[in-house]
Amino acid sequence: MAELNETIHQPVRLRIMAALVILGAGDEVDFTYLRNLLEVTDGNLGAHLRKLEEAGYIAVNKAFVERKPHTYVSATAGGRQVFQEHVAALESILKSK
Amino acid sequence: MNISPTEAEEALAAIHAMMKKARRTISSSGAYLFLIVWGPVWLLGFLGQQFLSQEVASKAWMILDILGGVLSVVLGVRLGRGVRRSSSTASGWRIAAFWLLLFLYSFAAVTIAWPLDGKQFAMFIILFVGVGWLAMGLLLDSASVWWGLALTALALIGYFLLPGIFYLWMAILGGGGMIALGLYIRSRW
Repeated sequence: MAELNETIHQPVRLRIMAALVILGAGDEVDFTYLRNLLEVTDGNLGAHLRKLEEAGYIAVNKAFVERKPHTYVSATAGGRQVFQEHVAALESILKSK
Repeated sequence: MNISPTEAEEALAAIHAMMKKARRTISSSGAYLFLIVWGPVWLLGFLGQQFLSQEVASKAWMILDILGGVLSVVLGVRLGRGVRRSSSTASGWRIAAFWLLLFLYSFAAVTIAWPLDGKQFAMFIILFVGVGWLAMGLLLDSASVWWGLALTALALIGYFLLPGIFYLWMAILGGGGMIALGLYIRSRW
């Protein structure tokens, strides 16, 4: 049976993962775009991304685009797997209600 | 870790809401915006051809096409800004080259076939756009293949079976259909 994941279950991190897993494998989203999408502050998003990165659920890449620094974020294969298991666990709790 | 069914329900609702919002804004589903832009262009352009003089209708088409083109470029840049595709650089240039070549080929075909009346010219453009649409659908997003086929079929039905109201047909079913499809995709995703 799938298990809940404490790291992912935090509301902001749950929404981060939900936004990232809809992208194709290897596709990355810009930090600013993600911040606007989630409607959180830079600091708040940065802190949650660090947690997810430390857990190995996301990858963070820094790159220069048109001479400007950009931070890109993507879900790792492991992160996608854990997220799907977390969703399955949530659904099984609802079914057993 | 244990949570109540109510918390699980709330978490799932948050996930689904986020996925819906993200699909709209950062995934390829943002393409529905192009339908909402080009739908009114076709609607107004073909209505103009049905009810206005050829000279006025041609000018209206030109202005509408420029407006649609500018809006498409702005949308394309905005949609592409937030997401970096794993293979976007190479495929982006190939897609741009494909559309440029398709435009040149359509220009050559129209030049060879000239003189064309208004309906024939419209059908040439629709067929070439249809080919481009199908190619993009087959390569990028298989669902749009069906929209491309449906639009081409509508145009052919109008051209051969309803020549008297061809422009009106294309305005309502072509342009209106694009708007309706764009709004449908927006609401469904």
